Amino acid sequence: MILEMSRLRILGPRDAYDGVVRALQDAGVLHLASPPSGPQLEPLRLSPTQERERRCLRRVLEDVEVVFDDLHCPGRIAKLPPGSPPHALDRSSFMNWARKARRLRQEIAYLRQRAAGLEEERALILKYRYFLSAFGPLLTEATRAAHLAAYHIVLRPDEAKAVERLRSGLEAVIGDAFDLRSRRLATGETAVLLLVAAAGAERVERLLAEARVQEIPVPVSFGGGSLAEAVPRMRARLEAIPEELAAGQRRLDALAAEHGGGLRAVRSALHDRLGELEALPLLGVTRRAFVIEGWAPAARVAGLRESLAREFGRLVVIRELGDTGEEAPVALSNPVALRPFELVIRLLPLPRYHTVDPTPFVALFFPLFFGLMLGDVAYGVMLAGVSAFLCLRSRPGTVLRSAAVIATVCAGWTIVFGLLFGELLGDLGRRRLGLRALAFDREEAMLTFLGLAIAIGFGHVLLGLALGVRSAWRDQRRLALGRGVAAVMVVLVGVAVLAGAGPLPAWLLRPAIGGLVAALPLLLALEGVIAAVELLSTLGNILSYARLMALGTASVMLALVANQMAGAMGSLILGGLVALLFHLLNFVLGVFSPTIHALRLHYVEFFGKFYSAGGVPYRPLARWGPEAGARI
Amino acid sequence: MEMFVVTLSAALAVGLSAIATGWAQSRIGSAGAATIAEKPEMTSTIIIMLAIPETMVILGFVVAVLIILRGG
Repeated sequence: MILEMSRLRILGPRDAYDGVVRALQDAGVLHLASPPSGPQLEPLRLSPTQERERRCLRRVLEDVEVVFDDLHCPGRIAKLPPGSPPHALDRSSFMNWARKARRLRQEIAYLRQRAAGLEEERALILKYRYFLSAFGPLLTEATRAAHLAAYHIVLRPDEAKAVERLRSGLEAVIGDAFDLRSRRLATGETAVLLLVAAAGAERVERLLAEARVQEIPVPVSFGGGSLAEAVPRMRARLEAIPEELAAGQRRLDALAAEHGGGLRAVRSALHDRLGELEALPLLGVTRRAFVIEGWAPAARVAGLRESLAREFGRLVVIRELGDTGEEAPVALSNPVALRPFELVIRLLPLPRYHTVDPTPFVALFFPLFFGLMLGDVAYGVMLAGVSAFLCLRSRPGTVLRSAAVIATVCAGWTIVFGLLFGELLGDLGRRRLGLRALAFDREEAMLTFLGLAIAIGFGHVLLGLALGVRSAWRDQRRLALGRGVAAVMVVLVGVAVLAGAGPLPAWLLRPAIGGLVAALPLLLALEGVIAAVELLSTLGNILSYARLMALGTASVMLALVANQMAGAMGSLILGGLVALLFHLLNFVLGVFSPTIHALRLHYVEFFGKFYSAGGVPYRPLARWGPEAGARI
Repeated sequence: MEMFVVTLSAALAVGLSAIATGWAQSRIGSAGAATIAEKPEMTSTIIIMLAIPETMVILGFVVAVLIILRGG
C-alpha cells in the first residue's frame, strides 16, 4: 500500500534553524517541500561563507567518491558497524582529507594508467609471439646471414589466398631467389616469413608496397632493427610484466587497507554536511523566525514531535496542515512477504499518491500466471533449486534476493499446476510414474484450457477496472463513473457471450444486450467517443489472456517432443542425453517466456486500467548512507 | 480435400501472424538495441515492448488450434 503522509509545518526562532535542521536530519523522517511563501517570509539564502563551503565540500566529495570507487572491492574496505555515530569533521581534519583525497586520486590514476600500459605492452608482445613460435629458428638464421633480407607479414583470415599470389608475383620479379614460408596461426591469421637475397630486396619492397601488403614493424620500444634481434628483449619484458602488474595491485591494496575505513567515514560526513547545507534554501525565514514545511509518514509524526520537544522544548512548534492540494511524496509500505514483488512495480515510475499500489495483486497474480503457463512438477522443482541457490548467494533487500523470492513463489505455483495437469517432464510422469491429471490434461483439453485462460483474463481485467474506479474516485469522479460503467458493460458482454454460446441460460441474452444498449449512451456521455474505442480495447485485452493457454500448450508440446526424441534414439544413454538437453532448453524457454508474458499481462492489460504513474519518491532529509531513503 | 483445406487454413493462421510478429519485432528490436546502447536502464522496458507484438502470433496459434479442433 501507499503510506499515508501528513503535511507538517515546523516553526521556531530564526537562530535555532541550524539545530533544528540537524535534528531533522538525525530523525530522518521529513521530506522537505518547497519553501513556504507569505508576507515578510522569504526563502533562506546561503551566506557567502556557506556557499563557499558547499562548493568546497562538493569538490572534495568528488575526489573521495572517485578514490573510494577505485579502491573499493567486495570485502576490501571494512564497513562501518551498524548504528555508528555520525563522523564529526572539524576544519583541520577536513583540510587534511581534502589534500589526502586529491593526492590519492592522482596516485590511483597513475597506477591504473600504468597497469593499462603494461597490459597493452603484453598484448603487443603476445601478437609477435605467435609469429616467433611459427618461425623461431628461421628468424635466428635470417639474422645471422648478412646477405639475406627478412620480411614479416601477418595476413588477415580472409587474405589467406594472397600467399599464392605473392609467391607468383615474386617469381615474376626475382625468379626463384627467395624463400617464402607461411603458417596458419591459432587466431585464423596467416603468418608469412619471406627471405630474399639482399640484392633483390629493393624490388621486393616495391612489389610489397604495390600489393599493399603491410610488414609488421618491430616496435621502437624494443630498439627497432630486425624482429629476431628484438626477440630476447621481448621475452625478458614478457617475464617482467606480471611482476610489475602485481606490484601495482599490491600498492592499491595497501592504499585501500590504509585509507579505506577513513574514506568511508569521511564520505558519510561530507554527504551529511552537504545535505544540511542544501536543505537550508528550502526554509522560509522572517527577521526573527523560520518555517520548514514537508511531508512525514502519519505514523511517525508523534515520534518526530517528541524528539523535537525533547531537544528544543517549547521553542519549536510542529503543526499538522490539512489537505493543501499539493501531492504528497510516495513511499510503498507492504508486509515483508510482499516486499520482493515491489521489484515488478519499480520497473515503472511510482504510482501517484491517492492511487492504488498494485503490489499485493502482483504478488497474487504474477506467480499464478507463471505457474499456469509452465505447469510441470519437475520444472517447478528445478526452478525451486535455482531460486534456493540465488537466495543463498544474495543479501537481503537486494534485487537478486527479491528476484529469488519471486522465483520461489513461481516455482510453488508451477508444482501445484503440474499436479493439477498431471505433468512431470511432459507426459513422462503419466507414462512412468502413473501420475494423473487432477484438473485436466493440457495436451488434450485445449479448449477447456483456453476457456480457463479467458475466464482468468475476464476476472483480472474486471479487477483492474474496479481498482480504476477506486483510484480516480477522489480527484476525477467523472472518469471513475466512466470506468464503472465500462466494467458493467464488460460483465454484460461476458453474460451475452456465455448465454449465446450455451453455458448460461439463453433467456439472459436479451437482457444483457438490452443493458449494453442502455449503458452505451451513458458511457459516451461520461467519457466521450473514445470510451467506445477503449471498451473494444478492453475486450481485446481479455482475449490477450489466451497467451496463458498458448504458452502453456507450447511448453507441454516441447516437453513431449523431448520425450519422443529420446525414445527414437534407440540407445538408452544417447536418448537420455538428448531428452536431458531438450528438457533443459524447454526449462530455460519455459522460465523466460512466461516471465515476460506475465509481466506484459500486468503492465499492459491490468495496470492500463488503473495505474497512474508520476508519484514523487519519498526522500526524507536524513543522515547519509548507501541505502539512505531506499526504505523507511 | 477437406483435411487439406483445414490444415492449410491452420498453417496460414499461425504462419502469417508469425511473419507479422517477426516483422514488428525486427523493427522494435533494432530500435530497442539502439536505445539500450544509450540508456541501459531501459532494458526491462524494451524486453516488455519486444513481447507486445507476440500477441499476434499467440492469437494466430489459438485460431489455428480452433480450426484444427473444429474442422479436423
